[in-house]
Amino acid sequence: MRAVLTILRRELASLFYSPIAYVVLAMFALGSGLVFYIGFAPGEHAAMRGTFGGVVWLLVFLAPAISMRLVSEELSRGTIERLATSPINDWQIILGKWLAAVVFFVVLLLPLGAQAVVLELSAAPDWGPIFTGWLGLLLVGGLYLAVGVFASAATENQIIAFLLSVFVICGLTFLLYFLPEASFVPPKVRSAMVFANVNRQFEGFNKGLIDIRNFVYFASVTAMFLFFAVKLLESRRWR
Amino acid sequence: MLTAEKLTKWYGPNLAVDALSLELEPGRIVGFLGPNGAGKSTTIRMLTGYLPPTSGRATLDGHDVLTQPAAARRKLGYLPESNPLYPEMRVDEYLHFAGKLHGMDRAARRARMDHVTDRCGLSKLRRRTIGRLSKGNKQRVGLAAALLHDPPVLVLDEPTSGLDPNQISQVRRLIRDLGGEHTVLLSSHILPEVQRIADRVVIIAQGRVVADGTVDELRQRSHAEDDRAPVHVEVRGAPEAVRAALLPLDDINTVDAAAEGDGGDWCNAWVVPHGRKDVRAAVAEALSRHGLLVREIRREAGSLEEFFVRVTDVQPREAAAS
Repeated sequence: MRAVLTILRRELASLFYSPIAYVVLAMFALGSGLVFYIGFAPGEHAAMRGTFGGVVWLLVFLAPAISMRLVSEELSRGTIERLATSPINDWQIILGKWLAAVVFFVVLLLPLGAQAVVLELSAAPDWGPIFTGWLGLLLVGGLYLAVGVFASAATENQIIAFLLSVFVICGLTFLLYFLPEASFVPPKVRSAMVFANVNRQFEGFNKGLIDIRNFVYFASVTAMFLFFAVKLLESRRWR
Repeated sequence: MLTAEKLTKWYGPNLAVDALSLELEPGRIVGFLGPNGAGKSTTIRMLTGYLPPTSGRATLDGHDVLTQPAAARRKLGYLPESNPLYPEMRVDEYLHFAGKLHGMDRAARRARMDHVTDRCGLSKLRRRTIGRLSKGNKQRVGLAAALLHDPPVLVLDEPTSGLDPNQISQVRRLIRDLGGEHTVLLSSHILPEVQRIADRVVIIAQGRVVADGTVDELRQRSHAEDDRAPVHVEVRGAPEAVRAALLPLDDINTVDAAAEGDGGDWCNAWVVPHGRKDVRAAVAEALSRHGLLVREIRREAGSLEEFFVRVTDVQPREAAAS
C-alpha cells in the first residue's frame, strides 16, 4: 500500500504540473457551468439531475485526456525501466496511477459543488439526489479512467492512448445506448446491451437511487480494465 | 554477488544474447565492454530483471531476479542506459521518490540523501528542477538515485555516454570511489573508459563473452596473440650500420632503420623477428658488439584497443537459428 501511495503522490504532482490538467479543468468548469446555466431558470426543478445528465457525456473526452499520459509517458521516457526494477510490482504501479487520476477527477468535479451551492441559495433543492448523482459521476469517471490507464499501457504514444480510450468509451456509451434500439437486435442481446451501457447504469444514481447492482457493475468493469492494464504492462516485457 | 547462468535472449528469430555466463565478486568493479549492438543492454536488462531471458537465470546476492524479484531488487542500484528521469521533478523530490520506492522511511531518506548528494556533487542543486540541469548533472542525479538505498550491487549502463570530457572524468572518479563498498557492473563501448576504473574487464561480441580478465591479463593475452612482436630501438649510429649489425642475426626477419629527424646522430630502428621470439637481448648484444650505443630498447605491445577490435570483430553469424 505504501508503494501505491508513493506512485500516487508522484503522479498527482506530475498531473498538476502538466498544462493538459488545467485545460481539462477549465473545459469541465466551463462545460458544466453552461449545462447548469441552461437549466437554471424560474419554474425549473431545483435539482442537479439535468446538469449531471449532460456532464456525464463530457467525460467521454475529458477522462481520456487526464489518463492518456499515465503509463505511456513512462514508456516513452524510459522511466518505466527504473520503476520496474524497483521493489514494487506492476499492480502497485497501475493502481497508484489510476488512484492519482481519480483524485484529480474529484478536483475536476468541484465546480458541481459550487453550482449546488448556488442552487441552495436560490431555491430549496433535495440534497439526496445531488449526492447520489455526484457519486454516480465519480463511478463513471473511475471507470473511464481505468479504460484510459489500460489504453495508456498499450502504447508509448499519448495521442494514440487518448484515441484508443475515447474509442473504447464510445463503445460503452454511444454504441450501447443507440444500438439496442435497432430492430435487428434480438431481445436477449438487447437487454444485455442495455445492462452493459454506462449511461443507463448511471441513470439510477442520478435519480437518487443507490442500487447494489449498479455498484457491482462499476466495480467489476473498472477492475477488469485495470487488470487488463496490468497484463499489458507485464506483457511488454515478454515481447 | 551477481551471477548470470547461460543467459540467452531471442528477439523473434534474432539471437541477441547467447548462453552468457558471468560471476561478479563482491566489492569489485567489472567493466562490461562490447561494440554497439553486442548485447550489453539486453544482458543488463536480464540481470536486473527488467527483461526475462529466453533461457538461463540471473541472481543478485543469491536471489533469483525473476522468482524472488522483491528480494533481488532491494540489493540492486540501477542506472539504465540513457538515464531516464522525470524532468518536471526537483532533485530532492525525485530522490525522496526513489527512496520511498525502496521502502526507506523519512529519517533514513534524509540521512542518505545528504550523504549521496554530497558524494555526487549535488548538494547545491537539490532544489533545482531536473529538466533544467545539464546532462552531466542529470547523470549525477541518476547515480544518486541508484545509490540512495545503499545497494550492494550497482549496475550502470553506459553512465558516461553523451557527456563532455570533464563530466566524464568526474563521473569516472565517482564510480572508482564506489568500488570496495559496492559491487559495480559498468557497461561501455569505449575501452579506455573501462580500462581505468575496472578491476576486471569482460568483453562481449554477438551476445557471447569473448574475453574476460584483469586489464593486465588481457594485455598479456593481447601480446601472446599478436603475431608480430616488433622491437623498437633507439641507437647512436647510421641507419646502414644498424642494419648491418642486426640483419645477420638468425632470429631477425626485417630491420627498418631511419635517422632521427632533428639532425643528431641518433637513429630509430624497428626490428621484426621471426615468429614471436623476444629478441631484445640479442639485439642489444649485437649492437654493443658493433660499438653502437643503445639509448632505448622496447618491445612494442599490441595495444588493448587493437585487441578489443580484434576480439569483437566477429563475422556475422550465418543463420542465427542454426
